[in-house]
Amino acid sequence: MSLVVITFFSCKEDEEPECQTEPAKLSVTVQPVFGNETLYLDSVYSTVEGYDVKFIDLKFYMGNPRNGSAILTDAGLFDYRERGTLLMEGEGSYLDYSSMNANLGIHSSINHNDPAAFDNASMLNIANSNDMHWGWNPGYIFVKVEAKVDTIADGNPLFDHNVVFHIGKDENFQTLTFSNVNWSDQGSHHELPLKLDMETFLQNSAETIDLKDEFTSHTAAGQEVLSMKVMMNFKAALTTY
Amino acid sequence: MEYIQTPYELKIPSHFPDMIIPIDNPMTIEGVELGRKLFYETKLSGDNTQACATCHAPSAGFSDPEQFSTGIDGLQGDRNSMALINLGWNTSFFWDGRSKTLEEQIIQPVINPIEMHEEWKNVVVKLNADVNYRNMFFKAFNSSEIDSLKAAKAIAQFLRTLISGESKFDVMYKYENNLSLSANDQVIYQTITPSEWAGYDLFRSLNGADCFHCHNGPLMQVQKFSNNGLDAAFTDIGRGDVTGDPNDYGKFKVPTLRNIAYTAPYMHDGRFATIDEVIEHYSSGVQQSSTIDPLIEYAFQGGVQLDAFEKDLLKQFLMTLSDENFVNNPDFQEP
Repeated sequence: MSLVVITFFSCKEDEEPECQTEPAKLSVTVQPVFGNETLYLDSVYSTVEGYDVKFIDLKFYMGNPRNGSAILTDAGLFDYRERGTLLMEGEGSYLDYSSMNANLGIHSSINHNDPAAFDNASMLNIANSNDMHWGWNPGYIFVKVEAKVDTIADGNPLFDHNVVFHIGKDENFQTLTFSNVNWSDQGSHHELPLKLDMETFLQNSAETIDLKDEFTSHTAAGQEVLSMKVMMNFKAALTTY
Repeated sequence: MEYIQTPYELKIPSHFPDMIIPIDNPMTIEGVELGRKLFYETKLSGDNTQACATCHAPSAGFSDPEQFSTGIDGLQGDRNSMALINLGWNTSFFWDGRSKTLEEQIIQPVINPIEMHEEWKNVVVKLNADVNYRNMFFKAFNSSEIDSLKAAKAIAQFLRTLISGESKFDVMYKYENNLSLSANDQVIYQTITPSEWAGYDLFRSLNGADCFHCHNGPLMQVQKFSNNGLDAAFTDIGRGDVTGDPNDYGKFKVPTLRNIAYTAPYMHDGRFATIDEVIEHYSSGVQQSSTIDPLIEYAFQGGVQLDAFEKDLLKQFLMTLSDENFVNNPDFQEP
């Protein structure tokens, strides 16, 4: 991998070499997969329990991606249906992010701020957060997984079993650590590709989510255990390559 | 000769996000004035009898009280005319979202055979014959050449001024979120009844009416397409017609609930004449289908099963979304 920082210089001929240096661009992408397969929304995958599942919405917030004092942006919003694999874009040198810490969710210090008051370009602005903001008191939805499942192995593909995980609230906030990240040179920018394995999400070692019995959490009272399991499994499912 | 346009300052409520204006269509006083005149201009139709406002009446929240609008040839479509409220924050237009910008959307009703049934080249001729329009286009765009793109831009500018954010709900929203209330807000706050607050609670309750997943935030809508359980089999595939994806069949754009008291009838096909019918649908009339929104979580039992008292509370809350200042705003009426 090249260790040269990509920068762009704009100089006019016959002028003093006082050049405008454009900051290097960085992006973080997330490719959803299901085990060894690329995951596409609305396509059918099989769980270890033998259920057929179609994911119809995958969204999450990654807050405050940083390495030491270097901060890439305030928050990235992954929305597979609307924004594809892009999680966030920012400016800076990839050399500043040889490892990265981030939040799965939005820190309580800003989770309850006026969502209309964030900068227009911020994914926390309510015009961008769209249905990922509940309101001031609960704040933002950190992780959203929606799916339809066929839990009856009768050969009749009736996906009438809905799965809705909308997890937020300060107590479910998680931190992420990506060590030794590998930025890829895309020419115009450097990209950090991450992977979101929804099979791992459902089958995270001992913390299995059985969609037949565990299919709804809005982070409401009485849903604390499943809410935390969703967050922990999602955290485990989100990795570097 | 160059005419210097005057920037138009949008009156955006304090609890709303900024409106992102297209770089190639900045808001100007001259553009908005032209757009307003064009919005009410019957010359945009083939027989000079219909304007945009014909099917988007201010008194009806800029929608049509009829289930289906009737075009100049007496033909009707199969979708209800959408309310034009806070469009500047929308990311798609028409019930199926086939237009991504307001400017793009505005072009279509003029040439639609079942609506205004006119060709833009004829509209341009008619407008060009009017010296007043020639002057207004020049002032708005620094060009004496009238064309459909400029007309659409002007109308889009006017539509972006149609901002509704002064309902009783807005005071409730600001109060519950600790935003400052103006003196007028505080007067309105005193009029909010316990039943309206209770209806708001039901509206947001997962085990109540559960409306808030799709009707949320200051705009009272999220930007998405949803199958809200109207039919088990689709006669109109909606968004699916645009994407070609069977997973989108039966999905339609989530509309705002603002000014719902003015915008009857309801749903993409205007099938419900009253708010009571809408509430009854979500309470007991939900139909299961392959693409039903998973957020309609009580679809398996036909809906959220509200009792009569709860339905009444919910309706009382929905009435708080009425913004009289919006529908009666003199700046929005026919010039």
